[in-house]
This record gives sequence, C-alpha cells and structure tokens, in this order.
Amino acid sequence: MLTKAAYFIKKIVGVLLTIFLVLTFNFYIFRILPGNPFALLFRGAGMSSEVIRDLNTQFGLDQPLWMQYLIYLRNTASGNWGISYQTRTPVWDIILPSLSNTLVLLVVAAVISITAGILIGILLAWRRGTKIDVTASAMTLVVYSMPTFWLGLMLLFVGVIYFGLPVSGMESLRGATEGVFVQLQDRMRHMILPLLTLVLGLTGQYVLVMKGALLDVFTEDFMVTARAKGISNRKLLWDHGFRNGVLPMVTLVALNLGLAFGGAVQTETVFSWPGIGLLIYRAILSRDYPVLQGCFLIVAVAVISANFVADMVYPLLDPRVRTQ
Amino acid sequence: MTIAKDGLVKRMRSIAVPLMLMLVIMAIPIQLTKAQAKEITFNVGWAAAVIDTLNPTAMTQMDGGAYNIAHAIYDTLVRSDTNGNPVPDLAESWTYKNATTVELKLAKNAKWHDGQPFSADDVVFSINLFLAHKEFTFLKNTVKTIKSVSASDKYTVQINLKGPDSSFLAFRLIGVFILPKHLWERVANYTTFANPNPVGTGPFKFVRWGGPNTFVEFTANKEYFLGPPNVDRLVFIYFTSYSALALAIQSGEIDYAGPLFSPAVVPTLTSTLGVQVISRPDQRYYYFCFNFYEKGAANPALRDKNVRIALSHAINKPELVTAVWSGYATSQHTVIPVSLGDWVNPKITAYEFNLDRAAKMLDDAGYRVGADGVRVNSKGVRLSFKIEVPSNYAQEYRSAQIIANLWKQIGVEATPQLVDVGTLADRVMDWKHDTFIWVWSAGTGIDPDPFLNMFQGSEAMPAPNPGFNDCGFSNSTFDKLYEQQIQEVDPVKRKAIIWRMQEILHQEAVYVPLYDPLAVQAIRSDRFTGVQPGNIPPLNQFSTNNLLLSVKPILVSPQTTTVVTTTMAPSGIGVETMGGIAVAIVVLAAAVFIVTRKRITQEKP
Repeated sequence: MLTKAAYFIKKIVGVLLTIFLVLTFNFYIFRILPGNPFALLFRGAGMSSEVIRDLNTQFGLDQPLWMQYLIYLRNTASGNWGISYQTRTPVWDIILPSLSNTLVLLVVAAVISITAGILIGILLAWRRGTKIDVTASAMTLVVYSMPTFWLGLMLLFVGVIYFGLPVSGMESLRGATEGVFVQLQDRMRHMILPLLTLVLGLTGQYVLVMKGALLDVFTEDFMVTARAKGISNRKLLWDHGFRNGVLPMVTLVALNLGLAFGGAVQTETVFSWPGIGLLIYRAILSRDYPVLQGCFLIVAVAVISANFVADMVYPLLDPRVRTQ
Repeated sequence: MTIAKDGLVKRMRSIAVPLMLMLVIMAIPIQLTKAQAKEITFNVGWAAAVIDTLNPTAMTQMDGGAYNIAHAIYDTLVRSDTNGNPVPDLAESWTYKNATTVELKLAKNAKWHDGQPFSADDVVFSINLFLAHKEFTFLKNTVKTIKSVSASDKYTVQINLKGPDSSFLAFRLIGVFILPKHLWERVANYTTFANPNPVGTGPFKFVRWGGPNTFVEFTANKEYFLGPPNVDRLVFIYFTSYSALALAIQSGEIDYAGPLFSPAVVPTLTSTLGVQVISRPDQRYYYFCFNFYEKGAANPALRDKNVRIALSHAINKPELVTAVWSGYATSQHTVIPVSLGDWVNPKITAYEFNLDRAAKMLDDAGYRVGADGVRVNSKGVRLSFKIEVPSNYAQEYRSAQIIANLWKQIGVEATPQLVDVGTLADRVMDWKHDTFIWVWSAGTGIDPDPFLNMFQGSEAMPAPNPGFNDCGFSNSTFDKLYEQQIQEVDPVKRKAIIWRMQEILHQEAVYVPLYDPLAVQAIRSDRFTGVQPGNIPPLNQFSTNNLLLSVKPILVSPQTTTVVTTTMAPSGIGVETMGGIAVAIVVLAAAVFIVTRKRITQEKP
C-alpha cells in the first residue's frame, strides 16, 4: 500500500506524461491535415504568390517538421502561444475571452444539470417502478437524445416569439451605460435559452447514472441490515445509499467539467454565443494552427486536471480506493 | 412501509423557489433611461462572416465583417456609388495629368475622430505604408500599380503609376483606407497592432467592440465632412446562424440583415409585416471548372476541347437556377458576372442544352458507349469524372448532382463529392482535380479585371501552383489582350478588348459558368427608409456607406423603452417550424402515454 505522498507523485508524473503526449499529438495532427493556412486565405483574398511565400516564412511553416515541433515545444513552455494566422493577434488574447464566455455558460449549466440530475436520479431510484419513475425515465431519455442543434432552434423560436427573449449573443448593447442591475438582467435574459438547451441535453446522463448507481447500492446487504436496525428513510437514503452511490458520479462530473473547456459548438452556433467551441470550429476551417493548438491544449489540460482532482478526491470519499 | 414526503422533496422545493425568482426577474422588461430612449440606433445583423480584427492592415477576409467595419470608420479617396462607379470621397476631384499621373484634390473640411484635421500628409503616409509592407494582405493589392505618391500642397496629392492602369479608380483606389498619420506613425509592429481605438475620418466613430465575432458599436460622427448620418448609433451584430438572423429581423431585434440569405428563407421574410426584402445582383458567379492542364492529373479526355464543349451542351442552366436557387439567380454564360453590366459580352450565349448534340459530339470525338454504359475511346480512356464541391456550398452540391444525372444519360459518369475547402484548395494547387464547382467574386470594387486575371498563362504553374489558374488555360493572344486592357484607359476601347477576351474563353470552353445568385438582404421598412436604388447590394464589402449614410428613421417619436419589441405575430413562423414543434409535442405525448400504460411492480427496499 502506497503512502499518500507516493500516490500523489505517481499521479503527477502520469499527468505530465499525458500532457506531453497531447502536445505532440496536437502538433502533428494539424500538420497532417491537407490544406495550407495561407493558401486558403489566398483564394478569396487575391494575394499574390510571393506574399504567401513570405507569410509561410514569417510563420516558420517552410521549415522541416521536426524543427517546427521543437520550436513549438519551447514556445509553449515559455508562455508564447503564438499568433493567430487569421487575425495576427496573440493566441491568448483570442482564446481567453472565448473561453470565459463558454465557461460562464457551461459551468452554470453543469451545476444545474448535476444538481437536477442527482436529485431526479435519487427520486427515480427511490420510487422505482412507480408511474413517476417510468414516465420520468422515458422523458429523460427522449430529451437526452434530441439533437442539440434542433433543440436549440426550437427553444429559440419559442423563446423569441412567445417570451420576447433576445435572439443572439451575450448582451444587448444598449446596456452600455446602464446600471449594474440592468446589465445583469440583460445578461441573464441572453443566457436563459442557451442554458436551457444545455441543461436539457446534459441532465439526462446524470439522472441515469445516479439512478443506476443507487439501485446497485440498494441491492447491497448492508442496506437490508440498516433497514432492519430501524434507521429512518432519510438517513438510509442519504447516509448509506447516496454516499456509496455517488462515486461513479464523481468521475462523470470531473470528465464533464473538463470537457466544458471545449465548448458546445452546436449551442454556440444557434445562439451566436462567442465561445470556445465556435472558435475551434472556425479555426479548423481556416487551418489556424496556433489557435487550434492552444485550444486543444487547454481542453486536454482541463480534462486531465479534472481527472486528477477526481483521482485525489476519490480516496477521500472511499477509503477502499487507497489500496492502489 | 410508507414512502413519506421525505427530505428529498423538500430539497427540491427549496431549489425551485430561487429558480422561480430568477425567472421572474428575467421576465421583467428592461427599462431604459430616458436619454437612451431618444437615440436612434441602426442595428445591423451580419451572418457568416468573421470579424477578425480592427486593424485594417491585418484584415484577411475580403468579405469578412472587419472589412465593413473598416468602411464605417475609415474613408477612402474614392467610393463606389450604388452602380459601382467611382465617386468622390476624401478626394473631391481628380484629373489625369497624363496616362500615369493622377492629381487628386482633397476635401478641406475633413477631420479625424480625435479632432485633428485631415490633410494630404495622411494620404501620402497611408499609401507609402501599404507600399512598404508586403504582408498587408489586401492593402498591398490596392496599391500594386502605384510607383510613388507626393503632396503638392496641403490638400493636393499626386500619384504616379508604374504604367497606365485602367482599373485604378474603380477598383484599386476604392480599397485604400486612409489612416491618420499622427497615430499610425508611432506604431512599432503593424502585424501585431490590435488598433483597439480606431480613429478615422469616417461617418461613424468606434465606441466599443465585444470581442471577436460578437458586435461592434459606433456612434455617429456629427462632424462628418459629407454631412452627419441620419442615425445616432450604429451596431453591427454578428450571427453565426442564418436561422437566428432571420428570426432576429422578424422579431425586430435588428433593423437590417445581411449579407446573403438563402432562397429558402425569403418567403418567410416577405410575409412578415414590417420587413422588406431587397434582392440585388451580386458580384460573383458560380462555375463548373474543367481541369485540362497538360501536366495535371485529371482525366485526359478533358484536354480535348470538343469533349468540353459537348459536356457544356449537356448542362441545363435554367433548370439549375430554378431547382437549386429557387429562381433567385441569373444564368451565367460568360466569366464576368451579369451584375457587371456592360462589361459582359452580350453576344455570348450558352452552349445550347441539347443532349443529342452532346452525344453526337462525343461520338465524333471517338468516345463510344461501352458495355457498362460509360463512354470509352479506343485508347481506353473512360469518360468518368469526379465533381468536387466545397463542403460549405450545399446548393452547389445539388447542382453537381443534377449535372451528374444529365450526363449519365449521354454515357458520361460523374461522381459529385463534397470536399473540405482547405483540402480542395490543396488539390487544385496540385492539379489533381477533374472538375469542380466553385465561385469567383469581386474584389474591392466593380471591375472586370479580377474575373480575368486568373486565365493568364503565367498563373498556371506546375504543382504546387500558387497562381489562380485552376483550369490550365494558356493562350498567348489572351495574354496579350490582358496586358492591353490593363493599360487601355479609354473605356470604349477597353470594353471591346474585354469582350474579345470573353469570346476566346467561351470558344475554348474553359469553364461552364453556371449562375450569378442574387444577394438577398432585408430591412425593417416600418422603422427605416432610405435604401438607394442601384445595381449592387446595399450592404456589401466595398460600399457600406451608401446604405449607412442614406438610411433614415421613419418614426419621429422616440423608440419604445423595452429592449425587444415583439412585433411579430405567431403566423410569422414558417410552416416547417410549426410542423417541427407539433411533431415534437406529439412524440413527447405519445412517449408519456405509452410509458404510463405499463404497470411495473417491484420490491421496494
């Protein structure tokens, strides 16, 4: 049995190795894709061939691949994530606002859907077999399997026509000189539809996982013993049932929070929400390697870190895990 | 054992209450302060364009949002009117001293947004800046033919050209933004300069930017030298989906929508009260390209001119316009878009759609129908081609399918294929394509030159070809005529040369030009008026000011105080969406019904 410190170090090394592999993979996968970024600008822009050659040299694309790779590693480590090919602004300046826009939306959506998912999952597990369970489970599946784009558009139509909600973006601009409360209200009105789309799409998995995990726990012997001991329903559910059933949820939550850094392209497209998902999509189309590398690195680090945190939290929740 | 209403339900209730509260807060319509309510704002919704930067020297996409923004803030020396002709802007008048020297007299009352006066020094500085920097993607092209520029006095500028340039005013000078010398001479690195507070002489002053792909806000420049705009504020809002854009103009959230709606949306827009649809010819055309480059990897059958002409006979252009663009396009017979007016040679008509004639020509060329239904010649070359279509052009894919079906009837096998734009561009550079459907569009202004320069022999080089030539055409007569037309300043003579060039291309059947779609835009006609009649779309990449300066509000009283006015009746929703919602409700109801019928009894713990 490892000491806590050894466990910790082992995990850290694993994380760093994974990040390194991701960096390498990141680099090569975009270079393998056909399509040179400047030739693309070329066709619509009317650039001459000398300009393209100049740009290629300026951005180091004419050097051998392994050299570009080493330069990339060195730059990334020192914080220079490069300049976007498309806008010529530092990659960080582009990614950061998009990322924060996405996180605002996705973290709130995640929190709501996790909470709702857990509560509904518990309810369904507790009342298994009743009308509520059967109806709600079916509806959860139906909503969960709706295509996000379609769901978003439907909500958009209903929201704009019947509720007068704004069509797109994060804010209505007349709020520029308004007070804080009005600005807050404005932002919330813009957020409600994309939030609803995301929550409807995400809750399903939490409900089903929670319900499944809890049902597994309910079949354990110790639950029967506890019931026989006369423990109240509430204590039975929360202290015995939930505490054990929540473990799979931790992994799921960690994974999803990590993936939230990748944005939600479909929702962002429907609602014109300027998030990182949309940024990645556009960068792929225009072969903007620096932006893509930066975004993918962020997502990878986010997912890896989230899993790392989950790995650290697990032994605290479940002492049995410490025997690894 | 009874299942009491345990803590679970109580917990859910406690969450429900704040949730309800949040919803109530959001539902309260936002009340604006009185001052804001009196301002007239013109909200423009712009879809599917990228606003990449506020720095005009770093702009990369001609039809990107940034280009339009730049036109609102910065002026050029000449501007395009609603028919594409150059009219005075910062240059009040001009004279050609000789074929290569132009003298321009500048406006005397123009001022920069920060109050500094505008003068000839700014013009000289800007042009020299663009001449010196090869990496300014667009601006480099606009000054390509300029040798030098000098200021004769405070408001007079002399430009010396390298040689006679027939499209200098209409095409090049229109794209030269004049930047303020006193601010830009201090910039260290132009490539990375973000230009966070752009200062120009234009009709609108920059207020703020929400970040890439969000919105840009302007306020009117009351001291604009050509007279202040009729609106107080201007906002460009970027949409990523055309459905959302259509909804936004229907609901009244924006006052103008562009740049190009697809024909499918037009019926919904026209049937909405208060929305007026504006369709104008667009300066672009879609074409079918044959690759007959000698050193290319295409099917060698395409190198035979008669095969190309035969295939041209087997394309039904009116059908494409109706089937693919619902009639919102004009058939194209030559390589100059029909919207360019007299530059188009009217004597050129399409190769008549006649499948029998096409079949006979292919027979004569030595291609007989084989056992598998595909024509093959004595050397074993089969008439089998790929038609590649960039993945973002859904309509052109349909065109490709229609064409493939027609060709099948004459024994030619064609396979339409969607390809990612970047990949296609690569393949074209490597001459690996057989045929494809793509588009050419106008540059900074209306001129036939950008539609002809790609056919020069010098643009066709071995792989990887960095030139524009994508068919492999090379003809010395054509090249000579091209050089001639660049230098021919007499418009009548130039037109004759341009017409002759089109004839050559038509005889060689280098492309099958397909159609020139209409640009469909929309305005809230219940709130704004003033869209000028003309031949080009009101809001396009080279003449935003025609619209921005002429538009004026209808209502004299201040706007309503709520942020969003839902002036749209539910009947404005299209039939399709009603159907979609109905289906959804039915499915849900059915699911609930089916599911509640089953009775499952289980042991409860």
